[in-house]
Amino acid sequence: MRSVAVLVTFFVLLALIGPVLAPYDPAQIDIPNRLSSPGAGWWLGTDALGRDILSRLLHGARWSLGLAFLISVVGLCLGAVAGLVAALGGRRADWVVMRTTDTFLAFPDLVAAVVIAGVLGAGTGSLIFALTVTGWMRYARVARGIGLSLQNRGYVVQARLAGLSPLAIARWHYLPSLLPSLTVVWTGMFARAILGISALGFLGFGVQPPIPEWGTMLLDARIHMRSTPLQMIWPGLAVVICVLAINLTGDALRDALAEQESRA
Amino acid sequence: MLRVDQVSVRRGKELTLQDVSLSLAPRRTLAVVGESGAGKSTLIGAILGFLPCATGQVSWDGAPVRRCRPALVMQEPRSAFNPRLSLHHSVMEPVVARRVRADPDRLDKLCRGLEIPPDLLERRPGEVSIGQAQRIGILRALLAAPPLVLFDEPLSALDAVTQKHTARLIADLQRAEGFAALIVTHDLGYAAAFADDIAVLRAGRIEELTASPAFVEAPQSEYGRILRDAAFALGALERVA
Amino acid sequence: MSRVLASLFLRAAVVLAGTALATFALLWHAPGDPALAIALARYDAVISSEVVDQIRAEAGFDAGFWPAFRAWILPLLLGDFGQSSVTGRDVWPELVTAISYTVPLALAGLLIGLLLSVPLALVATRRPGGWLDRCAVALASIGASIPAYWLGLLLILLFAVQLGWLPAMGARTPAHAVLPALTLGLGVAASLTRILRSGILEARGQPFLPAFRRRGVARRDIERDHVALHAAVPVVTVFGLELAFLLEGAVMVEVIFARPGLGSFLVNAIEARDFPKVQAVVVLAAVLFVTVNLIIDLIYRTLDPRIGDRDA
Repeated sequence: MRSVAVLVTFFVLLALIGPVLAPYDPAQIDIPNRLSSPGAGWWLGTDALGRDILSRLLHGARWSLGLAFLISVVGLCLGAVAGLVAALGGRRADWVVMRTTDTFLAFPDLVAAVVIAGVLGAGTGSLIFALTVTGWMRYARVARGIGLSLQNRGYVVQARLAGLSPLAIARWHYLPSLLPSLTVVWTGMFARAILGISALGFLGFGVQPPIPEWGTMLLDARIHMRSTPLQMIWPGLAVVICVLAINLTGDALRDALAEQESRA
Repeated sequence: MLRVDQVSVRRGKELTLQDVSLSLAPRRTLAVVGESGAGKSTLIGAILGFLPCATGQVSWDGAPVRRCRPALVMQEPRSAFNPRLSLHHSVMEPVVARRVRADPDRLDKLCRGLEIPPDLLERRPGEVSIGQAQRIGILRALLAAPPLVLFDEPLSALDAVTQKHTARLIADLQRAEGFAALIVTHDLGYAAAFADDIAVLRAGRIEELTASPAFVEAPQSEYGRILRDAAFALGALERVA
Repeated sequence: MSRVLASLFLRAAVVLAGTALATFALLWHAPGDPALAIALARYDAVISSEVVDQIRAEAGFDAGFWPAFRAWILPLLLGDFGQSSVTGRDVWPELVTAISYTVPLALAGLLIGLLLSVPLALVATRRPGGWLDRCAVALASIGASIPAYWLGLLLILLFAVQLGWLPAMGARTPAHAVLPALTLGLGVAASLTRILRSGILEARGQPFLPAFRRRGVARRDIERDHVALHAAVPVVTVFGLELAFLLEGAVMVEVIFARPGLGSFLVNAIEARDFPKVQAVVVLAAVLFVTVNLIIDLIYRTLDPRIGDRDA
C-alpha cells in the first residue's frame, strides 16, 4: 500500500507541478526554430511549429496522467457498486449484472473504446466516456467474488441479523475487505487508461490539438520521422516509463497481498 | 412465542429439514440435539429467515421472526466479529441499527454479569481469548434485549472449565432477562442440565421432543435412547442424573 | 452436463444480443443526422431535403429505434451485413477482403510470440530467481508496458528508415508483413512469457509432485505428464486474452503500417461515419470472441474436472 501511495503522490505532483517546471509556454509557436535538435535552448528539441517538446511533455502529464487517474477511479466506483449489487442483490440482480459485464467483456476494450469515441465524435468528453464504460468490468468481477465470499462470514450474518442497512453493511464490512484487491486491479486499469488515452490520441479520436497530450504529440511527430526521429521517442518514452512504474507497483502490491493472505 | 410449523428446507434435491414442528415460550429453554449433519444449522437458518422454507412457516407471536429482532450466538466466537473493527463497534451494532440511544448502564451491567473488563471492548477480535470472545458475543446478543436468542453450539469452541462457567452465565442471564433460548448442541449433558425441553434431530426429522428430566429417565425414541446411553457411558449425564 | 452446456449457450446468446443492442444504441444516439451524412457521402453536392427524407425512409430511420433495430438485426441473422452507407455496395465482400489480411498477420504475430515466449519461459523457470529468470521477468514487464503503436514506430525507424532493410508501408509483398508481425509478436511474447512462467512455477509447486519423485518416477516423465497439464490450464484461458490483444494490436498496427485489414477497415469506417461497416466489424468480432470463450470454457472443464457448474 505504501508503494502505491508513493507512486500516486509522484504522479499527482507531476501533473500539478509539471506545468510550473516547464521552461516555455507549450503553445508558443516559434517557426524559425522549428524541428531543432535537443540542445541548450530546448533540452528535448522543438516540434514542427517550434514548440518546446519538454514543456509540452510536462503540460501533457496533466492530460495523460490526470485523465487516466480520473477514468480509472470512476471505473473503480462503478465496478465496485456493480459487483456489490450482484453479490448482495439476490439471484436476479446477479444474473443481470454479470451478463452485462460479460457483454462488455465480450470485446477487446480498446477496440470498443475506439468505436465509442470515434462514433461520438473526437474530443475529451467522448474519450472519458469511452474509456470509462469499457473499464469497469474487472472491478465488478473482483468485487462480486469477494462479496460472495464475505456473505456467509459470521460477522456479516450478525450485521444482517442486527438489522443494519445494506449501505452500512457495505461501508463497514465489505469495503475494507474489498479495497486491497480493488487497488491491485486499479493499478492495472490506471496503466490501461494511460495506454488507452494515448492510443486514442494517436488515432486522432482523443484529446484534440493543440492540447499537448502524449498520444497526440506522437501523431504529430510521426510525419517528421525521417528528419527528427528523436521527436517521436520522447512522448512514447514518457508513456512507457509511467506504465512500467505503475505495473511494477501493481506486481509488488499483489505479491504483498498474496503473502498477507497466506499468513492469515 | 416462537412457532416452527411443519417446516421443510430443500438444499439442491435433498430435504435437509423435513416436517419440523416445535414451539418455544419466553423464559423457556429448548435444546436441539443431534449429530453433525442432522440439520441443526439448517434449522437455525430457517428460523432466522436466511434459508427459505420449502413448506411450512416460522413465526414469533404470529409475525415473521426477523421482526422481533432475534439474536444469535455463534459457534466460532472470533469469526463472529469483523477482525478490522473494535469489539465495541461490533457489540453496538444491534443498538445502532435500531436507531436508539445506547444505554451505558445496561452495557455496564451486562459486562459485569458476563465478567468482561470494560477495556476489553476497545480491542480487536484477534486480541482476546476465545472464551472472552464468546462472552462478548453473548453481550452483543443480549444488549438490545431481544425476546429470542439462538445459541449455535455456544460452548464447543471453549475448553472444559470455560464451558461450564459460560453455561452458568447464560443460565443466570436468562433468569434475569427472561428471553426465550433455543440452544443447538451435540452435548447432551449440557442440554439435560440447562434446558427445559430436549428435541432430538436426526436426518432432518425430529425424533422426539421431551421434557429434559423425562428424557434422562426414559427417552421415547430408539435413537434418543442410544444418544442417552452414549452420554451416560461418557459420564456426561452423571451430574444430572 | 447437458444443463451446463445449455446454460453456457444461453449465456453466449444473451451476450451477443446485448452487444448488438448496445452497438445499435450507440450508433443511433451518435451526434448528427445519419440520413444527411449518407446523402452527403453519396452525392456530395447540393442536396434537397426530399433526397434526405427518402434516404431516411429507406434506411428505416424515421420509424423509431425498435423498428430500425429490427430492420437491421433480422437480415443480419440470415447473414446479410447490409450495404455501405457511403458507397452503397455490400459490406460482406469488403469485410472478407479485410479479414484475409488480418488473419495471417494475427497468426504470424501469435507464432512469433510463441517462438519467443515458450523457450524463454522454460529457460527462466529452470532456476527460479536466478539471473536468467530475472532477465526474462524484466523483459516481459518492459514489453508489457510498451504500447504497440510506439513499438511499431520504433521498428519502422530502425529497420525501414535508418537501416533500409525492410519496407514499412502497405502490404504489397510478404516482406511488408515482417515489421507488423514482429510488432504484434513482441507484444504477445511479453504477456505470454509472464503467464507461462507463473503457470509452470505453480504447476511445479503442486503438493503431489514430490510424492511421484519419491516413488521413483523420472523427472522428465513428471514434467511431461503432470507439470505440462497443470500449466496448460491457465494457458488455455490466456488464449482468449491473447486473441483480444491480437485484435487490439491489429487495429493499431494496421493503421501505423498503412496495411489493409480489419483495423484499417474499422478506423476508416468510423472516420467516414459509415455505420453499417462499423456494425459489421463489431458484430463479427463479438461472434468471434463469444465463440472462442465458449470453446475455452469447454476445454477448461475437460482439462480441470474440479471446475463444475459452480458459475454456470
